[in-house]
Amino acid sequence: MLEIKNLHAKVEEKTILKGINLTVNPGEVHAIMGPNGSGKSTLASIIAGRADYEVTEGSIELDGKDVLEMDPEERAAEGIFLAFQYPVEIPGVTNTYFLRAALNNIRKHRGEKELSMSDFMKHIKSKVQLMELDNSLLTRSVNEGFSGGEKKRNEIFQMAVLEPKLCVLDETDSGLDVDALKIVANGVNALRGPERGVVVVTHYQRLLNYIVPDFVHILMGGRIVKSGGKELALEVEETGYGNIESEVAAGA
Amino acid sequence: MDLKSPISLTDQYETIKPLLAIHGPAEFAPLREKGISEFEKVGIPTSRDEEFKYVPLRALSEDNYSHAYGANVSREAMEATLLGKLDAITITFVNGEHAPEFSSIDALPKGVYVGSIEEAIEGFGDKVLAHIAKIATTDGKLGSTNDDRFIHLNNAFLGEGAFVFVPKGKSIERPIHIQHLHQANEGAFAVYPRILIVLEDGSDAKVVESFSGIEGNVFTNAVSEVYLGKDAILEHTKLQAESLEAIHIGNIAVFQEEGSTYTSNNINFGGKIARHDVNVWIDGEHTETWLNGVNVGLGSQIIDNHTRIDHAKPNCHSFEVYKSILGDQSVGVFNGKIFVYEDAQKTDAKQTNQAILLSGEATMNTKPQLEIFADDVKCTHGATIGQLREDALFYLRARGIPLQEAKALLVYAFAAEVLEKITIHEVKDVLEAKLFDRLGIQTIE
Repeated sequence: MLEIKNLHAKVEEKTILKGINLTVNPGEVHAIMGPNGSGKSTLASIIAGRADYEVTEGSIELDGKDVLEMDPEERAAEGIFLAFQYPVEIPGVTNTYFLRAALNNIRKHRGEKELSMSDFMKHIKSKVQLMELDNSLLTRSVNEGFSGGEKKRNEIFQMAVLEPKLCVLDETDSGLDVDALKIVANGVNALRGPERGVVVVTHYQRLLNYIVPDFVHILMGGRIVKSGGKELALEVEETGYGNIESEVAAGA
Repeated sequence: MDLKSPISLTDQYETIKPLLAIHGPAEFAPLREKGISEFEKVGIPTSRDEEFKYVPLRALSEDNYSHAYGANVSREAMEATLLGKLDAITITFVNGEHAPEFSSIDALPKGVYVGSIEEAIEGFGDKVLAHIAKIATTDGKLGSTNDDRFIHLNNAFLGEGAFVFVPKGKSIERPIHIQHLHQANEGAFAVYPRILIVLEDGSDAKVVESFSGIEGNVFTNAVSEVYLGKDAILEHTKLQAESLEAIHIGNIAVFQEEGSTYTSNNINFGGKIARHDVNVWIDGEHTETWLNGVNVGLGSQIIDNHTRIDHAKPNCHSFEVYKSILGDQSVGVFNGKIFVYEDAQKTDAKQTNQAILLSGEATMNTKPQLEIFADDVKCTHGATIGQLREDALFYLRARGIPLQEAKALLVYAFAAEVLEKITIHEVKDVLEAKLFDRLGIQTIE
């Protein structure tokens, strides 16, 4: 479903990604781990279409379509969802209004009918429960005054409502306590299915105890230096990124 | 002394004067005389006049304005205006002429008056004369650039107008709507609306003033005077939705007694050129003053807001938020004066002015002007002029909301924060819908 080939990208004059190759098939969960500054969040942002980065080489395809040619809204409509590391506060726009506008735009793109307010409310009700959110959150402005945990839960809630093809989680675990982490993981696990791909970007192995990945990739210096199964995450947890770095250096 | 060439606004004044005298009591005559003579001393301002430097008013000297009085406006045309169907106690003026057929003043609580100034003279004459032309003046007030010329001009045409009176301790739930419909389909018209609102001690009311341009080149020179007795509460919303050919110069002057609360929601959507002043004189302690403003300028509109708050007494609070959304080649101006007089210790005054520029050619001129003569006060002001937040735009787009809609949504949210303060739901909803409509069709760079 997602095919990234030889992806190079820079921000201003600094090259951050130096040839990423990654294939995510429907039903798979991939974890991308790496130390700070390795380029993991850059990769997540580029998939979603953030304009701060310039892709200098390579390609990203979703079901054979050229993602890099698409505007962010088109990517979302095609089924790409980025759970932000830092969700943005938007005073004056209620969560409900925002989500309904998002969902209806995506449905329109797919040639489906827009949902009426009552159908929309039915659709989101179960998702609110899944994410153990307070109903009052729906009438509050998007992320405004939310705690760190609420913001992250709200991201996964949005994901559950929009039901994307490809979920990209950018350090969703950062700043979460164990309880919130479990709720977030529950939400993601509920979305796992044979049609959907998930990419979990994280620094720590912790989240992967709850969202168990099929593949783990280690990103360092803008390249995937090592890939493996879920046991690779445990290895990182035990020995740290430094060990892998020297291992890779020795291999090269 | 300059030799001024005659201008259409005043060159027929001698002919119009006897007609004005039909409306209102004999006491208005000297007010008119003073108004015309004071105005003629200074005439139409130019960019050299400090208080008018950003509003080009040459059209007022050059265009050929007739004195407007009445017009045939259909009920459909009235109802098509933004607040034309508002459920309220309504008094309507068509091109300055009182239009009872579009008014609905029934079942007023005892002692309350809503109607024309002319009809108020019998029964409420003393209340009118006690305040009219006394509140809208900067005579004797601080400030080196005080400029009342358009108040003088309005005084020159004093006659017909609206009067709202709420007696001691009376609360009116139902909004009072003073509606002005302007239609200039036979050349340019000038119109001089006048409003006097008197709330006695402990009374409470909501007044909406609307100025709707049905069509044409109209010059509106409006003056509203507001007197709030002790502990009186007024929510005062003004919607300026004149035609895009119109020039609107409005002035709201407020006098607050001890413990009173005044809220102004000042909404400017219309006009080729709109200039609006809100001046509040605080005459008693423990008052609250809320000045809220929302301005939307598109095309080549010029929207100029001046506010002044005279904190003449101690222990008073004022809060001011003015927001402007400017697209295309529009120009916004904000001048916010706060005077804190020597005696006004423990004054707490907060002023915020924000603008969003939707295009590279739109401009905003903002000038906070605080003059503080007391030493134990808290006064803050902040002004920001900016574009839409990139991070918020990306967030909305990443959820599937197209760029244009995302921009409109953020701009809407920016202004909605102020519109939210209107407690008359029907008015708030109509204005929010209109705001959305105006922004939705806007081509944003």
